[in-house]
Amino acid sequence: MFSPARLRLTAAAALLLVLSACSGGASPTASSANGEITVAMQFPPRSAYAFDADDGALLMTLGVAETLTTVDANAQPTAGLATAWEKTSDPKTWRFTLRQGVTFHDGTPLTPDAVVTALTYITGVTAPPRSVRDTGLTVKADGADAVTISTAQPDPTLPLRMSSGNLGILAPSAYVAGKQPTVLRTATGPYVLTSISGADSAVLERNETYWGTKPATGKVTVRYVTDPQSRALALQSGDVQFAEGLPHASVEQVKAAGAEVVSYPAARTVELLLNQSAKPFSDLKVRQAVTAAIDRNVLATQVLGGAAASAADLFGPAVPWGVKTPPPAADPATAKRLLAEAGHSSLTVRLWTFPNRPEMPVLATAVQSMLGEAGIKVEVTVGDYSAQEPKVLAGDFDMFLNSRSYLSDFADAASVLTSDYTCKGSYNIDHFCSAEFDRLVAGLSTTSDVGARQKIFADAAAMLTEQAVGVMIVHPNNTAGSRGVTGFVPDPLGVRPVLPHLEPAG
Amino acid sequence: MTVLVRRLLVLPPALLAASVLVFALPRLTGADTVRTVLRTRTADAVPDPAMQSRVAAEFGLDGSAAEQYLRWLAAAVRGDLGLSFVTRTPVAAQVGEALLVSMLLAVLALLLALLFGIPAGVYAGRRPGGLLDRVVTGAGIVGVSVPEFVIAPVLVLVFAVQAAAVPAIGWGTPAHLVLPVVTLAVYPAALATQLIRAETVAVLRRPHVRTARAKGLPPGWVLWRHGARLATTSVLSLSGMFVAALIGGSVVVEVIFGIPGLGRLLYDAVLAQDLPVIQAGTLTVIAIALIAGVLSEAAQLALDPVAR
Repeated sequence: MFSPARLRLTAAAALLLVLSACSGGASPTASSANGEITVAMQFPPRSAYAFDADDGALLMTLGVAETLTTVDANAQPTAGLATAWEKTSDPKTWRFTLRQGVTFHDGTPLTPDAVVTALTYITGVTAPPRSVRDTGLTVKADGADAVTISTAQPDPTLPLRMSSGNLGILAPSAYVAGKQPTVLRTATGPYVLTSISGADSAVLERNETYWGTKPATGKVTVRYVTDPQSRALALQSGDVQFAEGLPHASVEQVKAAGAEVVSYPAARTVELLLNQSAKPFSDLKVRQAVTAAIDRNVLATQVLGGAAASAADLFGPAVPWGVKTPPPAADPATAKRLLAEAGHSSLTVRLWTFPNRPEMPVLATAVQSMLGEAGIKVEVTVGDYSAQEPKVLAGDFDMFLNSRSYLSDFADAASVLTSDYTCKGSYNIDHFCSAEFDRLVAGLSTTSDVGARQKIFADAAAMLTEQAVGVMIVHPNNTAGSRGVTGFVPDPLGVRPVLPHLEPAG
Repeated sequence: MTVLVRRLLVLPPALLAASVLVFALPRLTGADTVRTVLRTRTADAVPDPAMQSRVAAEFGLDGSAAEQYLRWLAAAVRGDLGLSFVTRTPVAAQVGEALLVSMLLAVLALLLALLFGIPAGVYAGRRPGGLLDRVVTGAGIVGVSVPEFVIAPVLVLVFAVQAAAVPAIGWGTPAHLVLPVVTLAVYPAALATQLIRAETVAVLRRPHVRTARAKGLPPGWVLWRHGARLATTSVLSLSGMFVAALIGGSVVVEVIFGIPGLGRLLYDAVLAQDLPVIQAGTLTVIAIALIAGVLSEAAQLALDPVAR
């Protein structure tokens, strides 16, 4: 349920929306004119910029930290701090050649030993991040310009894995035994992190000795603003020149103030999970009836007002292997026929969801209405996710509306397919179990070609659709606005730098 | 004096009782703290049990609830409030820094409220039913009724977006203080105005004021020396409580304006199940409220001879 504080914040957000519709905007400030900009970021560092938390990805977005590899637009691994990689004669070992002429922000050079120190640290923390956990990853220096990285089992995704935000490389001086590595002036990226004010703000300065293209902006003040309406207002007032995660409903007002707003797909799916460990959803026909009854295009365009794309598949337009075409429209007659064939003239089911993402209760209500048209009565409960999770994992539910990022660590979907849909998956909420599907996903462990892997991801998703494992409802969009700066390049994969591309307009 | 000493003696047991509540309440929600925090570290929906045990031990969440409480209390008495589960930095420093920010906001808001509320209440109470009284009373009712989450956006849109006179969000310069302080000041200003107005009306009817007027003392002198002084006593004595309430209740203002104060720290901590921060932050707010209560009582005793 909503807490009083959250209710008040929600009310404030609604009021801001109404008021900002009645207002224009201040003229842009001159703060961008002298090569300095201020940006409002959506997610503050949750763990003091720790690499073993999500904060590693934040440092990549800021352009502070870098990894051995990164990814291109096709989600293929491409050169980062390593310029080349190859499998050695040992199938469990890869050799990465390091880029020459790279120096850390503290002035020391990038060496194989520095890479060994950084990667050894991350594998030895109390709770290693998923990108390295249980991989048995070890790193050794190999000559003056390379490292070898080994895993307990052959890992076809290792070059891609090395692009994970958890695996940023800092200078050896950052690592002091028993302490969290310091990220101030110790990374290699185009921006130097020069000061941090908790989870409130940070200051970045251009790395004048950067090995690649230097940013056009000399100094960036990063403000972490968790309230979406406050980010929109900060952009409208000219307090910031760039803001990510703008609320969809305020986009027109922000544009009216002279800002450019970009909407781009996120690697996330809102899915209606159906419990297949019990009746009625153990029956394929009932699941197909639910799928036929829900009009995902209406949910995306009308219910969410275009803040999301309708989902035809588990994977959407954010990834190269995702389905770009819209799903079919609802067909209540077919839904009723399928229900009748399954022996149900009417059906009453429970639907649970949570309010942490504001679109979830709205979608739940709309789905309830659509299923009602097909003769399925839905009792909606909006509650706390933490309290719901043990029950849904135990199979004590009917329908669960969940929001899931399908690229948690790096641009590869093996992890989500394994944990969410294989028979022994640790997060297999819908209790789907298919030997054929498991065989398909198991094939990923020996497939190193990224194109071939992406084909398997697409095939696996198609199999889930065919089996009506759940109803993939929508893929939410991300938004970002700029005013007084240009050069924003959306990164749906969430692993590439964003701030270094921004430059003061004019 | 005896009353004050008695009140001070109540503080330690009251704080101890508060510490039990503060420790127990987050745990009664049934949320799995280790799992919640682990998600931020491993991005894993379902962490494996062995890792959960390791992290529980690292957090001090192993053993029974009573053991955990006694460990926490013993450390807290030594001044060690532990490390944040999320930021892994000392909680005492985090709470201290955030408290300074919130204190600054609260004190400035209270000063602004009194600066406006005392003269407005006194002059409104001078002629009950007059035009000024009606205007001030009407504004007071609006000020008490309109919540911060309405006032803040209005101020932002008028003064930051339209007039571009002050920043919309952020912290660090005097200009950043303007909108949040004004937002926070509205409620105590309106309340103080109404209280002082009512007190002034009552005080001006007392015999000693009539006597002062009969002696031919100037009206302004009678109003402020014999009337307003007594009327403002109760409000001034409540100031400590106002500050405590402002510190504890500034969540909305701090989140909307992006201010790193105690309210926002606690809000984020509750969402992230960061128990050490929740415990230390809440206990700090309770301690301030208890101490402010004692100070308020002391102020009332000092200012009001009858109460003495």
